[in-house]
Amino acid sequence: MKTYRRDFLKGMVAVPFLGFFAFAYKGNIAKELSIKSIDYQDILRIQHFEASEAKLQPPTGNISNVTRFGLVGNGWRGEDILRALGFVHPEKIKESIVNGKRNLWLNNFLKQEDLNLEFAGVCDTFEVHARRGYEISQNDIRPGGCNGKTKPAKIFPNYREMIASCEIDAIIIATPDHTHTQIAIAAAKAGKHVYLEKPMCHSIEEAIELRDMIRSTGVIFQLGHENRQQMSFKMAKEMYEKGVLGIVSMVQTFTNKNDLFGAWIRDKAFDHKLGNYDNINWKEFLGNAPWHEFDLKRYFSWQRYSDYGTSVAGNDFTHKYDCVNQVLSLGIPETVVALGGQYYYKDHGDMPDIMNAIFSYPEKGLTMTYDCTLKSGIYRQSHILGSEATMDIDNAIMMYKDDNSERYKDLNKDSDNPMYYYAPSADVDAVTSATALTYLKGGYGPTYIDGKVIDATFLHLKEWIDAIRGYGQTSCNIDAGFEEAVTFNLANLAYLHKKPVRWDKVNEKVIIG
Amino acid sequence: MKKYLEIEANYSNWQIFSLTFLRILIGWHFLYEGLTKLNTLGWTAKGYLLDSVGPFSPLFKGMVQSDSVIKIVDILNEWGLVVIGFCLFIGLLSKPCKISGIVLLSLYYLAYPPFASLGLNAHVEGSYWIVNKNLIEMAALLVLLMFPSSHSTGFDRFFVNKGVKQSK
Repeated sequence: MKTYRRDFLKGMVAVPFLGFFAFAYKGNIAKELSIKSIDYQDILRIQHFEASEAKLQPPTGNISNVTRFGLVGNGWRGEDILRALGFVHPEKIKESIVNGKRNLWLNNFLKQEDLNLEFAGVCDTFEVHARRGYEISQNDIRPGGCNGKTKPAKIFPNYREMIASCEIDAIIIATPDHTHTQIAIAAAKAGKHVYLEKPMCHSIEEAIELRDMIRSTGVIFQLGHENRQQMSFKMAKEMYEKGVLGIVSMVQTFTNKNDLFGAWIRDKAFDHKLGNYDNINWKEFLGNAPWHEFDLKRYFSWQRYSDYGTSVAGNDFTHKYDCVNQVLSLGIPETVVALGGQYYYKDHGDMPDIMNAIFSYPEKGLTMTYDCTLKSGIYRQSHILGSEATMDIDNAIMMYKDDNSERYKDLNKDSDNPMYYYAPSADVDAVTSATALTYLKGGYGPTYIDGKVIDATFLHLKEWIDAIRGYGQTSCNIDAGFEEAVTFNLANLAYLHKKPVRWDKVNEKVIIG
Repeated sequence: MKKYLEIEANYSNWQIFSLTFLRILIGWHFLYEGLTKLNTLGWTAKGYLLDSVGPFSPLFKGMVQSDSVIKIVDILNEWGLVVIGFCLFIGLLSKPCKISGIVLLSLYYLAYPPFASLGLNAHVEGSYWIVNKNLIEMAALLVLLMFPSSHSTGFDRFFVNKGVKQSK
């Protein structure tokens, strides 16, 4: 008897420990998870986060309201836009099928909402790109499929003929900057809705003209700043408006690049080496720019020439500006100074390698700075400096309390460690600083909305299409575009004239010096 | 079960204690890991698999390619940890559990093999070269496999034929 009981007890020796485990483990898991996550309401002293509860607009397309669009300018950005709309080159499909199986990218692409669009027309001054647009329209592996009927896009020899076509309802413009205004105005005049890539215009006069034309024709206009769809900026805006940052006195924005491609020298990039005198419509490319003889460098690295491009301010600062404008509603500054120079990349146009600009907003009691170098690739995200807290922001948010903060004086965090993080792939709470840092560097990619991770460019285009169909409005409309165009052009003028420039908002004129 | 009949090892008290202790510790570790994942809303190994390094990383990345595959992988992982952990803890079906535990740990090891050229040591505490904690836990399970304790201090005891002579 004794032996049996002893044996039985021996076999059960682990059970009391299991009992303790079962009793206590749940509490420990809960504690761990709560330490890993952050109660933002408590930390930020706000009641409620509305931005993160935003819901996705349900699909608005069906067979009766198919929107027919034409694309002017099918370079790398044009193709990005087409991809976001659900149109991709057959090559890309082939690459994405490995051993007969679709890869993650292709699966996600096919699951995208079908926007019910017809890719009706394409035009590009480079025949190779126009042809690619046509090939893309022929590809029938797309979100929602196309029920076996692919309608090929028509290749138009120039934008005028595309705009005149009655088979097109809307125009997407992804051409070099100097032709943005003339094409957008022509489209609006013809009653076509406009999606215009940033930067909006090549000059302030053009911006005024375009704004007046869009307002008077009432076409639906969206400027290509997809940060408007990024959850991080929406949340930052809500936090700012609810006093989380306190009084903002300074905003810092940066550009950092350190290679030829980053400096917009793209003669040999992508498929550009296929270009030559015969397959490029040089005169059409020049548009209203001063005459120059055919030059491949000017054609493929157009950003670097002020005749066509808008310098670092137009190429990169506009991104950063629209992001902070979205958060803080800055508008147009009163005075701008800028200095810099071209010291390193000297054989492609007149774009400066280094530029620093200061934008003064006396009415708001703040200054915005822009700091650009094309000779250092270190990552610097935009900073918004407030009296209660400072925010580092890009796709993700990191926030640091101010040592002298009244609002957060009870918060047990020193100013070196972020008091709050947000990263787009997860819910608002459960994020670590390492994840946030990875997402900060992410660029303009996916964002998190309504429980899903979706590409911001897709959302931005969808918003425009939905608005065309009568659902909602565009978030980067002509007024936001006007603020962007004037602000960055003021910086370019200040750099060019080496004098402070002032914006007379009453007469809408620039005063130099 | 027949194998247990052949076990004639005469463990001393300290030996049986230390083997049981090790078995319970590893069981606790697996069980807690599995339960934490089950209790974390929306837990998935997706990020972990996508960031894997080394020669086997295409295999791990391939697991993420379709939604159904990653779901199965996650369920197998979470419940695998729980079942192996629970069974090791109480000493039930310990041989298959130890083998499964070794297999599971070897997958974690191969997803992030500790070699300097793969640059992992930047993010972990401690320094590891070829040998890391996963490998050591695998070796510990191997020892337990060679020196079982569950037929003595575990539920497996109750599944051995009572009529046969068993060791302490």
